[in-house]
Amino acid sequence: MSTDLAYLSAAEASRAFAARTLSPVELMQALLARIERLDPQINAFIRLDAEAALAAARAAEQEITAGRIRGPLHGVPVGIKDIIDVAGLPTTCHSKILLDNVAQQDAVVVQKLRQAGAIVMGKLSTHEFAIGGPSFDLPFPPARNPWNRDHHPGGSSSGSGAGVAAGFFPLALGTDTGGSVRNPASACGIVGHKPTYGLVSRRGVFPLSFTLDHVGPLTRTVADNALLLDAIAGHDPADPGSTPTQARYFGRFLDRGVRGLRIGFVRHFHETDMPADPEVTAALEHVARVLEAEGAEVRSVTLHSLGEFSGLNRVILCSEAWSIHAPWLRSRPGDYGQLARRRLLPGAFIPSGEYVGAQRRRLQVIAGVEDVFRDVDVLLCASSMDPASRIEDAEETGRTYPRQARLPFNVTGHPALAMRSGFSRNGLPLSVQFVGRYFDDATVFRVAAVCEKSMVDKTLRPPLM
Amino acid sequence: MDETLLAALAKAAGLDKAWQDHPEDVAAAAAQALNTANAIQAPTDPAAEPWPPMRAGVGL
Repeated sequence: MSTDLAYLSAAEASRAFAARTLSPVELMQALLARIERLDPQINAFIRLDAEAALAAARAAEQEITAGRIRGPLHGVPVGIKDIIDVAGLPTTCHSKILLDNVAQQDAVVVQKLRQAGAIVMGKLSTHEFAIGGPSFDLPFPPARNPWNRDHHPGGSSSGSGAGVAAGFFPLALGTDTGGSVRNPASACGIVGHKPTYGLVSRRGVFPLSFTLDHVGPLTRTVADNALLLDAIAGHDPADPGSTPTQARYFGRFLDRGVRGLRIGFVRHFHETDMPADPEVTAALEHVARVLEAEGAEVRSVTLHSLGEFSGLNRVILCSEAWSIHAPWLRSRPGDYGQLARRRLLPGAFIPSGEYVGAQRRRLQVIAGVEDVFRDVDVLLCASSMDPASRIEDAEETGRTYPRQARLPFNVTGHPALAMRSGFSRNGLPLSVQFVGRYFDDATVFRVAAVCEKSMVDKTLRPPLM
Repeated sequence: MDETLLAALAKAAGLDKAWQDHPEDVAAAAAQALNTANAIQAPTDPAAEPWPPMRAGVGL
């Protein structure tokens, strides 16, 4: 097949469908052939639903040919992290615990994607229950990084990041509780966005931590990411965390540039709180210079320390996750992989007072970030402090995986996007993160679009055959 | 952490089976919980409220 077809963006595919220079069936067949050939090296899929995807592509083709175009995602393939329900398919959470857990109905985000005409290709690898990985003691192998298969693709939305980077699908959904959309985006050199908390429904998504969980899009381009968010955002009265908001058209500022924007650079995250790999630091400084050259004002700002954010995230996540997993940890502890078991059990030993104390401190920390947003429009900071670790080196992964600056914005709920900032000497993607005010996801995309235009060479692709 | 104390904590949490079959994982989890709790600066103001707040009638 044409490699170019595999790396078509959703927006490009949509334009080609409308111009009748490409059909949804042609694109789907090409991607399925690529997946059949290459996924045994990448393990992005837990379950590929090729038959249903082809049938949906035929239906989309008929509708588009008849002039009934639903929108920019009509006929465009999408992959779904396997903690998100797709009716008729198992939601395994990459775990032995839920191997036979067939979803009775689509999650709200999947319903919205189908309404927009997107085509679900199947269910994607994750860390077990979005927390335990990369693991080799589970029913399915872990996904691998397309830039170098010996390396971790990030997690927990591992298959989402790896599959987008490998050219298996242009769009994917992941979830993010401590950075799990932005980590694979960082490791795989793509775009991952954690929307404002409450913007996207979580109904039909297996929970990890109720007050930290977000659903978010992973794509190869900033414009596609905004399109995918347009499709899945919206108030859901049945999700208690969902917020009634008019926020929409998230790509409306993509061509506006950054002239006049005030950008707060959180240097202490990667300079003193958690000193980053020198290549990561150099790439972040380069991003700041690019934004200044484009007319933004970049100034250093100070938030609470990464250590404090990290402690809050851990106490809240472990406590809430324990309340979900306690019955299985008590009755079937051996059915978890070791990493998930070790990461879920601490909640059993955290006193209730510590959890409530963390939630009380959380409000003060949020107020501190809101204070900073009175003087700046967007924050610039590190995402990962290191390039992706070698996936089979448990020591290296254990050391580098927590070295990140994503979880602060799960604690606060602000919108945050991670994207490629360059490459390391050994050819692995480096990353940067942009953070916006509540429900101002559109301005985050605005800054990201300038970086993409100035810095991201879209012709660079993973060295897959 | 003392093994007798660990066993008692595991039993209190209903983790008898996990303690029997995976004692090293239970011990690691208890140690992590101890470290994690020490990382939090709880507010000194007794009136400091938790987040998210209780909001009557919202989210139903």
